[in-house]
Amino acid sequence: MPQPVIASVGASPLGRTDLPGRDLFSVALAEAFDGLPDPADLVEAVYVGNQSESYEHQIMYGTLLAEWAGLRHVPAERVEGCAAAGALALRHAVKDVRNGEHEAVLACGVEKMTSAGTSGATDALSAAFDRAIEQRSGITAPSQYALLAQRYLHETEATERDLAEIAVKNHANAARNPRAQFPKEIDVATVLESDPIAPPLKLYDCAPVGDGAAAVLVTTAELAADLDRPQVRVAGSGASANNIAVAERDMTDVAGARIAAETAYEEAGIDAAAVDIAEVHDAFTVCEALLAEAAGFAPAGTGYQSYRAPAERADGWTDVQLSPSGGLKARGHPIGATGLLQALEAYEQLTGAAGDRAVEGAETALLLNEGGVADAVTVGHVLTTAEAP
Amino acid sequence: MTDGGLDATDPRTLPGFFDALADGELLGGVCADCGQVLLPPRPACYACGSRAVDVEPQSREGRVFSYTAVHTPPPAFAADAPYTVAVVELADGGRLLGRVTADYADVAIGDAVELTVREPTAAEREVALDYETDWPVHVFEPR
Repeated sequence: MPQPVIASVGASPLGRTDLPGRDLFSVALAEAFDGLPDPADLVEAVYVGNQSESYEHQIMYGTLLAEWAGLRHVPAERVEGCAAAGALALRHAVKDVRNGEHEAVLACGVEKMTSAGTSGATDALSAAFDRAIEQRSGITAPSQYALLAQRYLHETEATERDLAEIAVKNHANAARNPRAQFPKEIDVATVLESDPIAPPLKLYDCAPVGDGAAAVLVTTAELAADLDRPQVRVAGSGASANNIAVAERDMTDVAGARIAAETAYEEAGIDAAAVDIAEVHDAFTVCEALLAEAAGFAPAGTGYQSYRAPAERADGWTDVQLSPSGGLKARGHPIGATGLLQALEAYEQLTGAAGDRAVEGAETALLLNEGGVADAVTVGHVLTTAEAP
Repeated sequence: MTDGGLDATDPRTLPGFFDALADGELLGGVCADCGQVLLPPRPACYACGSRAVDVEPQSREGRVFSYTAVHTPPPAFAADAPYTVAVVELADGGRLLGRVTADYADVAIGDAVELTVREPTAAEREVALDYETDWPVHVFEPR
């Protein structure tokens, strides 16, 4: 079975940009193919992660981006799973390479979220929730996660200050990331005193709305070697859906995410303790706490300690570093691109290209990309260096 | 499997569920194999996969399982903000999300509430899909 690897990555600037979605993709593609043959000479299929047509009144993103990449008559499609769309695109590319169908597949993602303003983005994201009961109650993405946060604070020893510390840690990481939307440090008071969005969550507990695109080239190990590209193995991939209605779930155990992570570990032949870095879906601060537990890094009820140095965490925690990119919170969260931005961070970390934010000795990474509220769908990938055992 | 006979009068469909709710009756699916309560009812149990789902009236009394307030609403609900939303665990074991007719500061986990129904407002009808315009809206009132 061919070994799928990531052979190149690229991204557009993140945040409020003056480029439409297709042009953001063109920027990401140009970076990913710098020094490589043209996409038309390599790419055999395209998957595009994209959340909503409401931002730009555009569907058919598979066809559109294949065309913009100079590709014709290749399989190309948009994949949708709300904020997990990007990792679903990666997963499809990985499976195509693994099963021998294609030797080089482009996984990309794009979202142009600022075009409709905050209310337009709020409305577009609300479409991810069950229409009959939840949307009609006026629930929003932050308020869905606030329901999880409220229950988490009720069941654990975590405080609002702990959640704020997660945001502070991720901003500190983003300050060393030249790709970040918010490359600046903040303090706990800034988070705690920011405007209420959905209590206990405040503005600085929330990832921003933003524009962006990312492109990841998935190939066989042999082709990556022929292209003389640094390669990172995609050693495991898992995905799992949970109920769409948040009311029907265990609100402090994101079981779908746990299964996605465990499936990816199993394929990679590792356990949680082997993971050096993890890019987790911290769309809201509480997500990082929940996902640290689901990924097996933290005993139940202690995931909120992710901001602490490994030696200061509860017994049973691993020494993983969470979201060295700055996470969705501070690196940025252009929905459809997010899962691929996670892969980009891991690629740079594992190939020695992460500069000031490099996590020393990192050989194994876990990516967890969630769509809908929490684990409505979660995609997990394990990436390793070519040298990793 | 007997789902082939489903029509819009069946409470395992959304029109059937909301018709009953408009008459003041909260119907749940109850899995004959594992007992899981499904709100609204549906043809299959998510907990065990069984398609042996009975439809039974559910208690409208429950307790707040989690809650928040929406300060940044979708455009259609802008005039209502901030409003309180909760996940409520009903006495028969099912859970439902909905608005609570109380200020956020006056709600706590464990509070007793009761489900009531009202007609959609003009603003709610405005954003309703064609098939939703007559569906009642459920709200939880503190007991």
